[in-house]
Amino acid sequence: MNELEAEGLTLLELTDRLLHRGVVLTGEATISVAGVDLIYLGLNLVLSAVETMEQHKRKSA
Amino acid sequence: MSVLLHAIADRALADPPRGLRGAALEFVAAGPLGVWASPVEGDAATRDDAFDHHRVVEALCARQPCLPVRFGTRAADAEGARSLVSARAEELARALERVGRRRELAVTLLWLDAAARPGRGHAVEGGPPGRAFLERKRAAYEADERQRSRAEALARALEAGLSADQADVRHAFCPSPLVALSTAILAPAGEADAMKERVVRVASGLGGVRAVVSGPWPPYTFAGAT
Repeated sequence: MNELEAEGLTLLELTDRLLHRGVVLTGEATISVAGVDLIYLGLNLVLSAVETMEQHKRKSA
Repeated sequence: MSVLLHAIADRALADPPRGLRGAALEFVAAGPLGVWASPVEGDAATRDDAFDHHRVVEALCARQPCLPVRFGTRAADAEGARSLVSARAEELARALERVGRRRELAVTLLWLDAAARPGRGHAVEGGPPGRAFLERKRAAYEADERQRSRAEALARALEAGLSADQADVRHAFCPSPLVALSTAILAPAGEADAMKERVVRVASGLGGVRAVVSGPWPPYTFAGAT
């Protein structure tokens, strides 16, 4: 396991916690990110993580 | 203008950290508890906002017992935030007491032999197409079951190695084809770093997987009041 893979996994675990865990307060609160974009945001984060890892790999190659 | 909620706590701080996008953080009192919130214009929705929320939660949890609120939770104003917390005050107070001072570690176990596993597209030679389809489904199902059983055995070994209380461990089995186990472990207050060393030692000794241990973080996984 190289360090970059570990960093990517850590980022994904953290992202999962931010988006899917923590206290859920319902009622008047809206659990939303730019309306319907919660899933998009998650994907964006994942793609960015992969992109960043790829960049690091290219630099270190 | 609305407010984005960050964390539940039982008191205000004299010198709180900056809120989202550098805004002043507000403690909205709600009986014996309260919630830290940032005023936001429009949609607080970007990737940077998500990690800024994490920064705020980290800074708060380092200074007082607190429960992280899921990113994206908003109220129209402070009064709306107050009523949300008040409605569940007792439940939240119990959760704060149980996990508010503790930290969370994440363990990710990656299969070493993920590539060798027959996937859903695994070909079965010969026979009519219908039979081949059913054979593929059966093979995939059996492979899933085997992996799940292996992941459950890994989870048991991890718990046994740590002598962890089951209430302080949450597992997600086979959340993706590459991952055997994604586990959250609640570390005792003040012992997160020592706990992390133990987790690394135990997880690294598990067969058939590579382990990545992350954190400590605020107790996101365990903050849900139950």
